[in-house]
Amino acid sequence: MRKILVANRGEIAVRVIRACRDMGLASVAVYSECDRGARHVRLADEAFAIGPSAPTDSYLRIDRLIDAARTSGADAVHPGYGFLAENEVFAAACRDAGLTFIGPAPEVIALMGSKTSARHAAMAAGVPVVPGTAQPFAPDAPEAAIADEAARLGYPVLIKAVAGGGGKGMRLVAAPGDLASATRAARSEAGAAFGDAAIYLERRLARPRHVEVQLLGDLHGTVQPFVERECSIQRRHQKVIEETPSPVVSAELRARITSAAAAVARSVGYSSAGTIEFLLDEDGRFYFLEMNTRLQVEHPITELVTGVDLVEWQIRIARGDRLDLDPAVALTPRGHAIECRIYAEDPDAGFMPSPGRITAIGAPAGPFVRDDSGAEAGSDVPIFYDPMISKLSAWGADRRQAIGRMQRALGEYDVRGIRTTVPFFRWMLAEPSFEAAAFHTSTLDELLQQRQGESFSTPNEEEEEVAAIAAALHEDASRAGRVLLDPAARWVRQDPPYVAPRGGWKRQARVEALRS
Amino acid sequence: MTLEIGTPSRARVVQIVRAEGRLRVRIDGASRPVDAVRVGGGAWSLLIGHPVARSYEVAIAESAPGELVVYVRGRLVPVTVGGRFRLRRRGATAAGAPSGPQRIVAPMSGRVINVLVKAGDAVEARQGLVVVEAMKMENELRAIHAGTVREVRVAEGASVEAGTVLVVIE
Repeated sequence: MRKILVANRGEIAVRVIRACRDMGLASVAVYSECDRGARHVRLADEAFAIGPSAPTDSYLRIDRLIDAARTSGADAVHPGYGFLAENEVFAAACRDAGLTFIGPAPEVIALMGSKTSARHAAMAAGVPVVPGTAQPFAPDAPEAAIADEAARLGYPVLIKAVAGGGGKGMRLVAAPGDLASATRAARSEAGAAFGDAAIYLERRLARPRHVEVQLLGDLHGTVQPFVERECSIQRRHQKVIEETPSPVVSAELRARITSAAAAVARSVGYSSAGTIEFLLDEDGRFYFLEMNTRLQVEHPITELVTGVDLVEWQIRIARGDRLDLDPAVALTPRGHAIECRIYAEDPDAGFMPSPGRITAIGAPAGPFVRDDSGAEAGSDVPIFYDPMISKLSAWGADRRQAIGRMQRALGEYDVRGIRTTVPFFRWMLAEPSFEAAAFHTSTLDELLQQRQGESFSTPNEEEEEVAAIAAALHEDASRAGRVLLDPAARWVRQDPPYVAPRGGWKRQARVEALRS
Repeated sequence: MTLEIGTPSRARVVQIVRAEGRLRVRIDGASRPVDAVRVGGGAWSLLIGHPVARSYEVAIAESAPGELVVYVRGRLVPVTVGGRFRLRRRGATAAGAPSGPQRIVAPMSGRVINVLVKAGDAVEARQGLVVVEAMKMENELRAIHAGTVREVRVAEGASVEAGTVLVVIE
């Protein structure tokens, strides 16, 4: 393997290109029209245009991606996450074209991509699943059959799309009277989003946490699970903060949940990086939720506490290397790591996307901080794609130190021109429920509900005064028509009078002389 | 030069006296020793106070005539200059009673995936009106004030450009 085509964009394309360079491999970027000047294009060794900006015309065009790989002479394809990362047709097309797909086999993607067949695989491996429907309901299943099943499971019940993801096609039903309309809504949403209106039912657990297990599998039958990640801080079923290890998982629970994850992966012959998601109830019982057959957004925190480069291992596994990690390294967290997903969204306007040009960006750095970003000053956040611009991670010897470093890093994060979720994170990390790690998957939605749209960006008196002074200086300079654009501009305070140290000594000497 | 500077909580009177590169700043009658030096990326370093000086990095961008956004240590502070206090605090009640019809516009290009109201409906402040999908996200557009829906100008499935009026409320 010498050259890898990265079938993605933004920060994850940058992440994979960097791994290629670390390993001395050539990288090939692809780009849509609006991404011509993007950072991933400039960092790569080669770049290919694959079409107009809409994802369906470019990053989702399997034919163009395969063509770009052939033309460039790439021998492998890394899908990143999102777009075609969990598309078995793309994985198969790569294989048919003689390209190594850096991910699991297409058959495994298909098996674990269906939520109901993934549940069967988990049950067959002896892993508990959330109580639910054994078989999906066909689009023409009678309402009475769905109602019987819901009554058997007990309300509240969740309707989920078999092909679902990201909360789409999902409805919570509190009482039998709401079942029919919620079923229709879930089916219509699932049909539009995934082209598959099949649904199933799951019992709704009370106040569960989302705990997941990263794993790597090689092509020789070895599967290695990693220390768990805690991803319960979610807004509308989308993770926004992840950390590892989970503050509530004991060594004994870790041993059981990671073994369960590895058992599921082994039973389906899993290879490459993948993640098994669980719900953890208040009594410490865990239930298989689903498997993501790709690299996850939150992979950096696992890298930070284990020192294992997951993208490098994906590439090594794809070229046939044996997974020879020390299990103790993978399963023993060294310190604590937290990640915040920085989105181009305005948290003061209901997290509305905030696309546009980034006029300036001051990204945090310094001790134990990692910023995986695809954004920079002068770059555009296009309207066509996911609005995540960066993943900010911080490491500490313990959770408290990691939180302190994350707060410091968020304080330094300065993005101008567009709105970002940075102000929201500054608030969230100082929330008592976060500091106490007393949260479940609905905690953030409940907290946001309580705030009733209150701004995260309200400046304090000190900041307002400084802003007023700065604005007055700016206005004064622009009316005077000078100074502001002079790069060497400096105004020295006049009030109270500037006193040079030498003058101070002279005056002091005079005072001394008078005294003597 | 004396300026009225509007900040989110209140208006402030700022006096600037510059002579030979020396600077005197008074704010609301109090003297503030300020040392300002331009640094990279369009930002300024301000040292405020003497002999104990607080250090701030600020950047200024003009958002509209007479309106600036000032980033103070990375936090955005909207500011008006010159006695016009058209301060719009999100979440807070806008100054004065609402006048004229509300036009709910698409904040960005996208696809209408749900229309939640019809003409003649009474709506409350913050009630959801239309759901627009863009950037893989669904965004619910809400009423600013209570009123009656006069017009719904879009249908589910329609593609809309940024700025398109979707709903008019009286």
